[in-house]
Amino acid sequence: MSTSSAGLAKKAGYTNIQVYLDGEPKWSKEGHPVYASNKFVGTGNIVLIDLRSADKSAAGRIARSVTIPYGDLEDRMSSIPRKAPVVVYSDNAEEAMEGLTDLRDEGFKKAALVNGNIQGWIKSGGAIEKGPVVTEIKWIRQLEKGEVSLADFNKAANGQDAGAIILDVRTKDEVAAGRFMNSVTIPLDELGARMSELPKDKNIYAHCTTGARADMAAKELNKNGFKASFLVANVDCKGNDCKVED
Amino acid sequence: MKRALTKIIPFLVMASFLATGCTQENTQAAKAAKPAVEQVAKENVYKGSVVGKSNKAKTISIKVGKGEDAKTIMVAFDDQTKGVEHASVGHASIINYEMRNGKPYATVIKPKLAKLPEGVAEIKTDALVDLMASGKQFTLIDSRPGGRFAAGSLPGAKNITVPKMKETMGAGTLPENKDELVVFFCGGPT
Repeated sequence: MSTSSAGLAKKAGYTNIQVYLDGEPKWSKEGHPVYASNKFVGTGNIVLIDLRSADKSAAGRIARSVTIPYGDLEDRMSSIPRKAPVVVYSDNAEEAMEGLTDLRDEGFKKAALVNGNIQGWIKSGGAIEKGPVVTEIKWIRQLEKGEVSLADFNKAANGQDAGAIILDVRTKDEVAAGRFMNSVTIPLDELGARMSELPKDKNIYAHCTTGARADMAAKELNKNGFKASFLVANVDCKGNDCKVED
Repeated sequence: MKRALTKIIPFLVMASFLATGCTQENTQAAKAAKPAVEQVAKENVYKGSVVGKSNKAKTISIKVGKGEDAKTIMVAFDDQTKGVEHASVGHASIINYEMRNGKPYATVIKPKLAKLPEGVAEIKTDALVDLMASGKQFTLIDSRPGGRFAAGSLPGAKNITVPKMKETMGAGTLPENKDELVVFFCGGPT
């Protein structure tokens, strides 16, 4: 992407162009900060964390913030949803950076800072909230494009939706250990050759153990005229007893 | 039951053609019927963007071709496949594959490295950090989609996606002085 843009800039007459080929992933990996846009901080589906003390936070914080003083961050880490984009801020650049680093070390892939911390936010005219601090994290993941909701999936898995079928794309070995009672099983690598076993007039909800294979299966099916979506959840089956966790 | 089966047979025959693709691979399938010697067809290459990868099913989906000819192909890999780590979702890869029993198997996977336009230099992380610290005037452009930029970008970066760049040539965001330094970056090569 960056090289095409550089090519275009050259065409537009720019004479001094460089490309940072390693890009954002390397930048973050080497421990440098990234910043969320103010719009994302204000309206994005994020977990926004105020790392300052509860007193400071009560006196005025970025709207929608959860207060986790930096000293408590390690203990509270397990209460932060793993898939959530997390944005942290403080009134002290060093502390905010430490918070970001801890989150990254813990495996949070989408973590960022607020431009200029709380001071920068106020200066930019962003919304401020006062009063008793919020400590409980409420975050609900939004469905990806082509993803089936857990509720719809469960309905079909329980045989309560005649217009849908469950497609299990795990390997034969995995299926042997357990599967949904009402499922059709076709391992992902056999799907291309066995599509004709599936109905084109029903919703097909594909699942695997995490969602990666189901995603690939649904894309392949949709390309071939099926109505397929995929489940992003951890699925673990013993017999016909399947545990599904978001 | 019998009727249902005869209905399915043409599908199965068709499906086997679809799965094997062209004539070369059909002869391959015919050879495979012979006793247990592993059949290896001539090596082929898929170049494109990886759209899916499953370590459990040992399968990679790669989007090849452009525009209306674009299609997604599922390629299997195994423990013998070299460079599996170079296939990651959203990044371009070059996959050498061979047909085994009518299915493509990856043999070697390489990252498709971006080519720099002539007269454009690469800047490394440390040099970029130094450049930021120097206070020298330059423009930093994030070429990734808006959502990715908003979620977290480099200090001081501005967002111009490639489609936007094509449309506006950066008007309003790139410096007026065309001799001033502009640094572009995106989501990295691998």
